[in-house]
Amino acid sequence: MIALQFFVSMIASLSFAVLFAAPKKELLLCGFTGAVTWLVYVIFTDLNTGTIVANLLATFALTVFARTAAAIRKNPVTVYLISGIFPLVPGAGIYYTSYYFIMNETALSGHYGMETVKVAGAIVLGIIFGFALPQSWFSALSHTFTRGSQL
Amino acid sequence: MPTTKEALSLAVETGDLLLRNGAEVYRVEDTVMHILDAYQVENYDVYVLSNGIFASANEDRDDACSMVRHVPLGTTHLGRIAALNQLSREICAGDLPISEAWERLEACRSLPYGKNRVNVLFCGIGCSCFAYLFGGGALDAAVAFLTGMALQWLLIRQRRRKSSKFLKNILGSALVTLLALLALSAGLPVHYDKIIIGSIMPLVPGMAFTTSIRDFFNGDYLSGAIHMIDAVLTAFCIAVGVDTVITLYRFLMGGVLL
Repeated sequence: MIALQFFVSMIASLSFAVLFAAPKKELLLCGFTGAVTWLVYVIFTDLNTGTIVANLLATFALTVFARTAAAIRKNPVTVYLISGIFPLVPGAGIYYTSYYFIMNETALSGHYGMETVKVAGAIVLGIIFGFALPQSWFSALSHTFTRGSQL
Repeated sequence: MPTTKEALSLAVETGDLLLRNGAEVYRVEDTVMHILDAYQVENYDVYVLSNGIFASANEDRDDACSMVRHVPLGTTHLGRIAALNQLSREICAGDLPISEAWERLEACRSLPYGKNRVNVLFCGIGCSCFAYLFGGGALDAAVAFLTGMALQWLLIRQRRRKSSKFLKNILGSALVTLLALLALSAGLPVHYDKIIIGSIMPLVPGMAFTTSIRDFFNGDYLSGAIHMIDAVLTAFCIAVGVDTVITLYRFLMGGVLL
């Protein structure tokens, strides 16, 4: 089951990387980034941490993974970060908030609205924590890999 | 050694192209400064916003030069950002003559978008995968595949007409909702909400949101605010599109269903 989720989220992120015209060589890695993100999210949701914590940890994993990939492949972080973020962006939250709003279910609309804001906040924190790790760790990684490829 | 004007226009043009294709402010500022350094311009000031660049160089000399660019928020092209990043690395690493740098820059500028047919197909695939991930069944994914393709077709048409971003998002989400509800009224046992959620993913402002956070993190508050407003307005437009169609549908069906 989790393998299927991994595979589907990989295809989904890869497709969106195509829409954003990511370099062809990086497409697979972009898809993989999204899949890792979704996997972390699903695992923590299954552990009953709640969506907020799951989103926070998944975004953190995404950011670290994207920075690692960027250092190794010598590409801007943006390429991987943008492709990988889509499984987490609260599209469902936007939908349910507005849906219950027009259905006059104010309580439910408010609930989903708060949920969306909280998820957005969790994503913000995840990205910030991810970027707070010193760049030197990732640069070191990049040097190791360059030396390896020259040998 | 190139004149101040030559070096500055190369640097600013590179920055312009990066910004236009969706790079974050910090990267643009950094790239412009590095290129100026590489061509031995010593005295410079660069100020980048999410929709503009201001730069001046060698103000104390006879060949002083300054440039201002207006860069509207555009569509993202990750391939161009990666190519420009590579170019700026090479400029900084060694002595790439300025004429050659210009040629490389033009090559980056003309990197094409994907073919329309390919984009339509991948948008369909992406939407159906998301519909499945967010809890839809196989049938929902199949319908989302069709709605996703229709959405991308609409987006391509809108891009050709250069219509406003608001209109693009409202029409796009309305189209998706309409198609999902049509599938429902055709009697298919679909979860129309999952189809809609999956198919609005290409419109959802993930890009603007992420860039905004990174701008804030780097201390570029103004640019962060611009991107954040962009993200919130986009989300609002999506909601308007979806809601309008659902309300109309309920009205036509006499308030039943849903």
